[in-house]
Amino acid sequence: MLKLLGTRLLQMILIMGIISLILFAIFDSEKFKKQIAVNELGGFAVSALSDQDYQVWLEKKGLNVPFYQRYLNWAGGVARGDFGKSFEKNEPVGSLLAARLLHTGLLAFWVFALMIPLSLTFGIIAGMKEGSAQDRLTSFVAVVTTSLPEIATAIILTVVFALGLHWLPPNAAMVNGWEWQALVLPVLTLVLYDFGYVARMTRASMAEVMHSQYIRTAVLKGLPYRRVILRHALRNALIAPFTIIVLQLNWLLSGVVVVEVFFQYAGFGKLLLDAALYGDIYVIQAATLVAVFVAVLSQIISDVGYTFLNPRIRFA
Amino acid sequence: MSEKLPPGFQHPVIQNAFGHLAAGRLDRREFIRIAALLGASAASAYALVGLPAPAYSEGQLPFPPDDPKAKPGGVLKVAMQVQKLEDPATFSWVQMSNQSRHTLEYVAITGPDNITRPMLAESWAASPDLKTWTFSIRKGVMWHTGEELTADHIAWNVMRWADPAVASSNVGLSVVAGLLEDTGKKDDKGKPIMGLSKGAVEVVDKYTLRLNMNRPVLSAPEDLYNYPTAILHPSFKPPLSENMIGTGPFALAEFNVGDKCILKRVTKTKDGKDFKYWGGTVYLDEIAYYNFDGDNQLSAFASGDVHTLYDFTVEQLDLAKSLPGVINASRTAQNICCRMQVDHAPFTDKRVRQAIVMSVDNAKVKNLVYGDDGDVGEDHHVAPVHPDYGPLPPLKRDVEGAKKLLKEAGFENGLQVTIDVGNTDGPWHQTACEAMRDQMKEAGIDLRVNVMPAAKYWEIWDKTPFGCTAWTHRPLGTMVMSLGYRTGVPWNESHYANPAFDKALDAAEATLDVAARKDKLAAAAKILQDDAVMVMPIWRPVYTIVAQNVNGYQGHPTEYHQFNKIWLS
Amino acid sequence: MTALEIGVKPALPLHLRVRQPDCLIALILLTWIPLTFYVMFGFYLSDTVRNFVLLPAIPATVALYIVAVVSWRESPVAVIGATLVFFWIFVAVAAPYLPLIDPNKPIAPFAEVGALKKDHWFLLGADFKGRDMLSRDLWGCQRVLVWGITATLVAYAIGAFFGLIAGYLGGWWDQAISLVCNIILSFPVMVLFILILNYLGPSGFNIVIAVTFASAPAIMRIVRGLTLDTKTRDYIFAAQTRGEHPLRIMIFELLPNARGPIIVDACLRLGYTTVAITTLTFLGLGLQPPDPDWGLMIKESAKVAMVWRFSYMLLVPALSVSSLILGFNLLADGLREMSMRD
Repeated sequence: MLKLLGTRLLQMILIMGIISLILFAIFDSEKFKKQIAVNELGGFAVSALSDQDYQVWLEKKGLNVPFYQRYLNWAGGVARGDFGKSFEKNEPVGSLLAARLLHTGLLAFWVFALMIPLSLTFGIIAGMKEGSAQDRLTSFVAVVTTSLPEIATAIILTVVFALGLHWLPPNAAMVNGWEWQALVLPVLTLVLYDFGYVARMTRASMAEVMHSQYIRTAVLKGLPYRRVILRHALRNALIAPFTIIVLQLNWLLSGVVVVEVFFQYAGFGKLLLDAALYGDIYVIQAATLVAVFVAVLSQIISDVGYTFLNPRIRFA
Repeated sequence: MSEKLPPGFQHPVIQNAFGHLAAGRLDRREFIRIAALLGASAASAYALVGLPAPAYSEGQLPFPPDDPKAKPGGVLKVAMQVQKLEDPATFSWVQMSNQSRHTLEYVAITGPDNITRPMLAESWAASPDLKTWTFSIRKGVMWHTGEELTADHIAWNVMRWADPAVASSNVGLSVVAGLLEDTGKKDDKGKPIMGLSKGAVEVVDKYTLRLNMNRPVLSAPEDLYNYPTAILHPSFKPPLSENMIGTGPFALAEFNVGDKCILKRVTKTKDGKDFKYWGGTVYLDEIAYYNFDGDNQLSAFASGDVHTLYDFTVEQLDLAKSLPGVINASRTAQNICCRMQVDHAPFTDKRVRQAIVMSVDNAKVKNLVYGDDGDVGEDHHVAPVHPDYGPLPPLKRDVEGAKKLLKEAGFENGLQVTIDVGNTDGPWHQTACEAMRDQMKEAGIDLRVNVMPAAKYWEIWDKTPFGCTAWTHRPLGTMVMSLGYRTGVPWNESHYANPAFDKALDAAEATLDVAARKDKLAAAAKILQDDAVMVMPIWRPVYTIVAQNVNGYQGHPTEYHQFNKIWLS
Repeated sequence: MTALEIGVKPALPLHLRVRQPDCLIALILLTWIPLTFYVMFGFYLSDTVRNFVLLPAIPATVALYIVAVVSWRESPVAVIGATLVFFWIFVAVAAPYLPLIDPNKPIAPFAEVGALKKDHWFLLGADFKGRDMLSRDLWGCQRVLVWGITATLVAYAIGAFFGLIAGYLGGWWDQAISLVCNIILSFPVMVLFILILNYLGPSGFNIVIAVTFASAPAIMRIVRGLTLDTKTRDYIFAAQTRGEHPLRIMIFELLPNARGPIIVDACLRLGYTTVAITTLTFLGLGLQPPDPDWGLMIKESAKVAMVWRFSYMLLVPALSVSSLILGFNLLADGLREMSMRD
């Protein structure tokens, strides 16, 4: 088990190393350096620069160094906890990213805090009696909510609750300091999208367990239905949803981009998009690494957790 | 004529301008502007020509008077891109200067009425040949350190702009360019290195600064309010955001690029004494800029997050009109210039260019996009708001003529061209080009509108054969014509090269007589117009919106924020 | 099913003849090729060709829809899904012949839903430029459908190819392909999209590349699993003993037998791709103006329509894209249900 964990972690570090090298190579191109210049100085100013001025500018930004050298410097810095400095925001990437991750973390916390109980409850109720009215209703709701892309859900919620009813603020830019109300719409958007998927998976898992021999035996033995469900069925039915829920972390990192951009919430996703559009290489690097780290880590947790929970599988 | 003019109006250029005014060749506002530039008091100039002067403070302060109803205190919230503050001399966006404008002040200040008044200077005077400018520095201006502002400090700033190592765009301003001379040295590419000429910046005494230029400059005070000319404390070291010491009423309290920029009132100097602001009463406690990208600013205003914003685009005008607030439209010399590269087929043929230009009705395009706001372009690059604008005979759309020219040029079966559009100021670029497309169709020209992201357009703006470029406001027509259309200059995106035009432009620039200058610039503009280098349909207004509880807000044509006398109710 | 394999075509009644695989493929191509050409290369077509190229696609679409309803009649879910999807495909191919005004023509900015302005009745209102929302919404499905389906197809072609190789050949091939896939799969999808499209620049063709990059590894895994499962079957051994080329075995023996789960997955993936295209266009990394598509309509309106009065500008494209994705998802559900019943 520990050995497996070790190899997986080692693999992750290897993957992160390869990815960051590729990113450096890509963003070293002339085109991206120009992009930074255009964003910083404006298109007019850049085309008025002589080649020499441009070289001076590159030097000032530290962009004239060959990329492998920059990569080594950067990797050395990362080892010391220094992620470089953002071109656009003019501050260390580490603190910038930490602040944004905190915001996204809060968002993610509420998404999971709502989504997990909601989807598990509905999934289990639906899976308990396949084909019943509650099953069909849950499945229908689940299909519809997963079919609404985040952008559509965000629009519908905003139009109804912010523009129409004026209950909630239409954006989460939080100009006047932290507002919990502003977080409601982004959280709901993400919950609605993800709820359906997890609920359906839970339902499938529950349904499978309900068909299994030991549940039938338990029911035939005359044990109270409640007890069969709570004691016997749930334990096994929740293994599959557990792994799926952990993997939702990976999905969430994708999902937050559009939600944060739409609601102008200063989180990780918006930071990544802004950085990509600006060509802000050190921010892109750090953000990508965080994303890959979370994604791979969630895969590891889900694998390990699955093994741990499921008595039938044991790693050699 | 001179006996009619009061003291303060004795400068020969003012007298000459007054002559033109009397003869009806100069507009009254233009006369006031020139008189103020040459050191006359703006208020007396208004009085002299019989225009009602906008309300300004008693005495010498360049701000509106105090409002007896005003309620001090409060935070003014503004939606704008919050950009980095590195070095004011190399600011590349107006937004940056707005963030520092209430901390770092300027030698002069141009008001919403486009008249330039003394700010950190108390007054100025120009020699009759306009080569020597003497600035009296205001006494009792206190830095945030507690020191008093002196002529030495201003001189340090001017010399800094001229330093090639700083690479300030201010060297392009006539007031700085006039101080430079060829050092004889050349850089790697053989371009001469310019340096400050000896004795160009002269500190006469503690409160007097003299600039000795090698050519006449009329616009010196106006140039000294260009956004990268903010006056820094000589202890300055970049980045500015680390230690912003100014003379203004506000100081940076909190700053995060792409997030917010909070300015708070200065009450104590750095050494703990009371700070006294020279400019009289300031009502606000705090100015807070919150980062919203261009397109999101209006929705931030709509949701009540902010009191005002940097600007919004014309597409958002209907949304703005449906919101409670006062919309402010400033006439500017911002435009779109759909220019053709004259060395790129098929635009090498002048007849083709003429056909394209003739087939478009600029007024219709402008009305479609901006309605009654803005000014109709005339296919050259001097705007009616430019002080040196001279009118030309109106343009007329001529579809038949365009068809004939196309036939002569060998395109009797129609011509197909593609225009690159980057929507760098908003989707209205595309709307304008689509309107042009529909009009050109009637002349047998098939215009294809190729829309690309703004960032991509800025990579090709000076390379594409046919492109729609947005030019920002520049105070003088000669300035923008020199920047964009002189043979071989870096921003000559149309590759236009016409010695006759260069000569006409030289002649206009060398003319000091304002009325004659208008005629000469109009002659140069006519050459450019006849050569059919561009379709220039629109001089656009700039829109902002202000919440109803904001009092004393005045929009500025160059989007400079001046919030000293704003108060919230 | 049996009818399909008899191979006595002339003797079959028409409704069965139409359900022959050759016939179906012909119908699909008849719908698909003109539409793709029209959207991707319409620029290069002359006006006369442009005016007629989509005509044959209309009956083909209708025929396909009828076949779909008849074959899937036992699953109402699949029929509802097919109806939604075919509604939009029909709109896409018929858009030039519907009584719609030019979707790019500015008429009356901010005309509200149902307003009659400048002699035009705005059933769904007008956008900030005064363009008819109904016309834009209906025309808009063309770009979404064409780019979405193309991207999914290309991703499938590449993913399935590598999956077959990895699964069938195994060994070193499997190791290498799986490693690359693992690296790509360790990215959150949107991060990968942003990085790729930022590098390549926003356009429809680049979306195809980005979607291929992001989806092919997952497809490869599915196909690899199915291949591993199928390759031990007798008919594969038979083919191997006949000495057939591995490539031939993979494409003609393995792939057709794995089609059931693949079709279900493809339907789901079409939904994801549609979401991706709309989202990327909204973020400014996707399709470019002026032609309408739903993501673009949302992007443009998000700046101007943030009040109740103008919210139709956001709702119309949002609901349209949702209905198409719902169609794909229901179709996938229905097909899965049916395959499980068999």
